[in-house]
Amino acid sequence: MTNMANQEKTLSQAEANLRRQRAISVALRYLVLIVVCIIMIYPLVWMVGATFKENSEIFTSMNPIPTNPTLSGYRDAMQNYGGAINIWRAMLNTYSYVIPEVIFTLISSVLTAYGFGRFKFKGHDILFAAMMAMLFLPQVVLNVPQYIMYNKLGWVGSKLYLPLVVPTLFATETYFVFMLIQFLRNVPKDLEEAAQIDGCNVMQTLIKIIVPMLMPAIVSCALFKFMWSSNDFMGPLLYVNTPAKYPATIFVKLSMDSDAGFNWNKILALSLISILPSIITFFAAQNQFVEGISAGGVKG
Amino acid sequence: MKKKVMAVLLTSVMAASVLAGCGGSSAPAAAPAAPAAEEKKEEAPAAEAQAEAPAAEAPEGADYEECTLKFDWWGGDSRHEATQKAVEAFMAKYPGINVEVNFGAWTDWETARALEYQSGTGSDVTQIGSNWIPDYDGDGTVFLDLNTVSDTLDLTQFEAGDLEKCLDPVGQQAGVPVSMTGRTFYWNKTTFDKAGIDVPKTVDDLIAAGKTFQEKLGDEYYPLTLGEYDRALFMSFYIGAKKGVPIIAEDGTLNVTKEDLVDALNFIQSLEDNHVIPGIAQLAGDGNVTTNENPKFIDGRYAGVFEWDSAPLKYTSNLAEGQELVVGDELDFGGGVYGNSAKVSMAFAICATTQHPHEAAMLVNYLLNDPEGIKIMASERGVPASKIGYDTLNDAGMIDPMIAKAHEAVYATNPMFFSPKFDNGELKGDGAAYIDAFSGLSYGDYSVEDAADVLFDAYSNVCG
Repeated sequence: MTNMANQEKTLSQAEANLRRQRAISVALRYLVLIVVCIIMIYPLVWMVGATFKENSEIFTSMNPIPTNPTLSGYRDAMQNYGGAINIWRAMLNTYSYVIPEVIFTLISSVLTAYGFGRFKFKGHDILFAAMMAMLFLPQVVLNVPQYIMYNKLGWVGSKLYLPLVVPTLFATETYFVFMLIQFLRNVPKDLEEAAQIDGCNVMQTLIKIIVPMLMPAIVSCALFKFMWSSNDFMGPLLYVNTPAKYPATIFVKLSMDSDAGFNWNKILALSLISILPSIITFFAAQNQFVEGISAGGVKG
Repeated sequence: MKKKVMAVLLTSVMAASVLAGCGGSSAPAAAPAAPAAEEKKEEAPAAEAQAEAPAAEAPEGADYEECTLKFDWWGGDSRHEATQKAVEAFMAKYPGINVEVNFGAWTDWETARALEYQSGTGSDVTQIGSNWIPDYDGDGTVFLDLNTVSDTLDLTQFEAGDLEKCLDPVGQQAGVPVSMTGRTFYWNKTTFDKAGIDVPKTVDDLIAAGKTFQEKLGDEYYPLTLGEYDRALFMSFYIGAKKGVPIIAEDGTLNVTKEDLVDALNFIQSLEDNHVIPGIAQLAGDGNVTTNENPKFIDGRYAGVFEWDSAPLKYTSNLAEGQELVVGDELDFGGGVYGNSAKVSMAFAICATTQHPHEAAMLVNYLLNDPEGIKIMASERGVPASKIGYDTLNDAGMIDPMIAKAHEAVYATNPMFFSPKFDNGELKGDGAAYIDAFSGLSYGDYSVEDAADVLFDAYSNVCG
């Protein structure tokens, strides 16, 4: 009798021990997560707090909560430079070329990758080698020849941002083409053959079979292109020369004059406002993106 | 089902945003006219009256063609605002001339403009830095020789010496100086009061202040702070005072020997050794920010800066409450020699490709020599180099008192010639000679002789 009771006791003791261990491990894991999270989030929180601070406080205080909060940063951010441009119009300008850029890049990159990945044609290897070589070409060395070319075409200062948008029709993001080809290698050819037997032509195979399979790669291409294009500063600086057409990247910098000094709270407020739509879009579409990725993964 | 609805929703949102995007690209083109028209409505009669008046009276310089000019500049908010107003006033005064502006921050501005100059698409009127003329107009084909429009642009308002600094290598007047600038000292009076001493008037005072600061206020306090480029400039003052000539002569030749540089570098290093200035390592430890953003400057621990006469406001606006910054005189190296120098801060140029040189010259003249334009532009580009510009602003009390005082300090000491070559990319800029030599010396990687070698080689290359 006592033996049994002892056994039970030790069992429950072992269980309790196990539970305690689990609790400790969970607590530890959360502790690590929280600490890392604070370290990662802190600069962002500080930035939001800094939009309410004066310069002297921004440079001297680690505290994200402002001691003398001011709204002047946001008030100044609404400046419209003689009615020529304001932050809202600048953001609209940004998206008016970023969205076409993203769409055109995806279409042209997928087509090019499909061509290189699935077809053998004359000059295939040389062209592919040339394309891979372009992967290592930094944008800086292209600035001058590109400028001269677009200038000859009369596109500099174009109201439709032609020098920024048109090149994306020609699969100029070599990295995406390369990445899509790598993904394409993992797509079994049997699927396409099956589609052909079912009567699909080449384009139908691409649209109905390849594109859905490539979705995860395409989604990441879209994300990257969106990020790069909306952060591009040099392109708009070279090719946009009317204030009314300035995109947000140029607008945010307009007042940053190291000679006369400037108020950082305005710059930070502008930055915050200008990244809000992207953040909201990504949060809203987050599930869709993740679903796209996992669905593609299962199929592949 | 839910997924499908979501997908449809998202697609429509995306489509909508694409459409919005497309709409955006066409809307702004029409939009600027609309709000402007609305704003103008109230003052329309006045504007019309104004517009008619000059036409009726046909004032001098009214002889012009209707045209569109392009005008670009870099700067900050207040300069953008003032210049836009001036341009609008110009268009009101000379109806028929339409001025399209393009403005931005300094970052990469030079790159973008250089591309335009070289491909022949530069704006009709363009704001240039002092070293842009030798850098981009070496053969005199990029910028118009302003002597050809001197009937419109009154060049007699400028000192001959100042105009000379805007000649291109083939001797044409490639630009007209907007403002001249030189470096002087600004002192945090609060900290000097705390140390119980007056702000320095001579280099000896400054060196003595280093010790006093260390003893009375502690190791954290320095009477002056100098970054790499500041050290290069202060070194040029030292050489100017010792030798009586600038490092680079007006004809672009080098005036110094390696021994001179060794001597000057020893002087700069002695400042660091005597606790007058913090070392480069310490400045990097402060967060590698510009002095006006350095917490130790903001709270008064670094009590002095060496800065252009046009730029004190970025320091005063950042100072913590209760700190007072005052303009100092140039420092006397002993016996009334200062060795300081002044340069063209910025200039206006007319691109040689312009179709309307006369009208472009009218715009430049309006901005620099017409009291109406001068008052709108105020001292947004520093203290005007134009005589009438200076007098107009001075009489109206429109020059910031600190800037005026600093400008006076520079010019009271008969500044020497400051060669644009001193700022050549091989000398100034990331990884260039000044940073290499002065940080190397300060960190102890270089001996004084090594650092002098680096500088001498770079100077020889630039002047070669």
